[in-house]
Amino acid sequence: MQLSSFTWNLLEILQILDQVDQVRCGVMDESALERYFDDSIANDSAFILGEELGLQSSAPPLDGPASSVQNSSFLSTKSERSGELGDELDLSFLPDDLSTQEEPGQDDTGADSQTSILDVSQDSGVGLNFTSQDSTAEPQQEASISGLRTGASPFCPMTPMTPMTPMTPVTERSGIIPQLQNIVSTVNLGCPLDLKFIALQARNAEYNPKRFAAVIMRIREPRTTALIFSSGKMVCTGAKSEEQSRLAARKYARVVQKLGFPARFLDFKIQNMVASCDVCFPIRLEGLVLTHQQFSSYEPELFPGLIYRMVKPRIVLLIFVSGKVVLTGAKERAEIYEAFENIYPILKGFRKQ
Amino acid sequence: MAYQLYRNTTLGNSLQESLDELIQTQQITPQLALQVLLQFDKAINTALANRVRNRVNFRGSLNTYRFCDNVWTFVLNDVEFREVTDLVKVDKVKIVACDGKSESTQNKTDKW
Repeated sequence: MQLSSFTWNLLEILQILDQVDQVRCGVMDESALERYFDDSIANDSAFILGEELGLQSSAPPLDGPASSVQNSSFLSTKSERSGELGDELDLSFLPDDLSTQEEPGQDDTGADSQTSILDVSQDSGVGLNFTSQDSTAEPQQEASISGLRTGASPFCPMTPMTPMTPMTPVTERSGIIPQLQNIVSTVNLGCPLDLKFIALQARNAEYNPKRFAAVIMRIREPRTTALIFSSGKMVCTGAKSEEQSRLAARKYARVVQKLGFPARFLDFKIQNMVASCDVCFPIRLEGLVLTHQQFSSYEPELFPGLIYRMVKPRIVLLIFVSGKVVLTGAKERAEIYEAFENIYPILKGFRKQ
Repeated sequence: MAYQLYRNTTLGNSLQESLDELIQTQQITPQLALQVLLQFDKAINTALANRVRNRVNFRGSLNTYRFCDNVWTFVLNDVEFREVTDLVKVDKVKIVACDGKSESTQNKTDKW
């Protein structure tokens, strides 16, 4: 049987199973997957899980009921803050994606989205694990299919740790989420600026044209630094999330605007995202560079970390003996997560015993 | 050309007021007053650079900073000025600092 048709059949079966479960249990439990991702975005920007994973499937962005509740509450606090912030400024910096969010109250669409999330996550699971888990995964699916046929569902009641995706047992996911450390973004304020005037009037600004042709300004919340150029272009660094970076850039634009310049907020773009995490075991970097030499460069006399240039997604990872990993070069959060999920099994293979 | 930074100090302001009085009573010309102030600048700069030996430490929280035209301006809050002999606490201090030529940085501070 072809891989893809096999997978899609399984997806259909699981979809049916899910609906059967919900009818029987009358309760929609969060799958482990949703909670896994909910934790990672709990204190962060209101990113929709389905949207990120939607990169890997053709399903439109959807999210589970719990995470959408979380998102909508975050959204309301966001709009409060933005209300007091930018009286003069255009407040539509809230990402457009959030406007297509589903209402938390609609159970049936919630059910569909929950299923779709699982399907999508299973997709990613299949993509990651199929090569290694081929033989072990298949008998599990046979069992689930036969379970359906006999009418007895072995999957209800759903405990949080019971995966709905037998193709991707929980142990296959790393369970580690890289934490964003730095976001670099650029925006065009759309008008030429008098840097000397800005440096003299604004607080927390440095301007030394002999050394560097930009004003270096800092704000405390979010703790960021901006480089403001006379052309009106600005670079914002130091934020810990995409939303914070955008908010910080807005604040700098407001400062410039208050000084009298007709500042706008054009072409905001995140240029780079840096994240770090810990696999919690030591790694044999020498082994890794031998087997993955076309991707790795490891010169311990120059730098103690191995530089792994992943092709898809195009991310550079710095891997250290201690097990700490730094990921950089991403334009999207999903690229970071994907890169880490790709490297984790490789690193497990080079664990120092 | 020495820094005219020190004209806005207690000493410098007293000098300027006195010179203004003399100008008012026609005892000196404004041009002469300007020359006096220039001489004051030279004198105070060399005096602070050569005749000041004591050291004061200060610690506080930074409210704002600015760097423009090679001049640093800081505003600190809840500052403690500590010398071996004594301690002075202040709620707010503004520091204007120009580039020093030797080890001694020429600082001027205004207390609130």
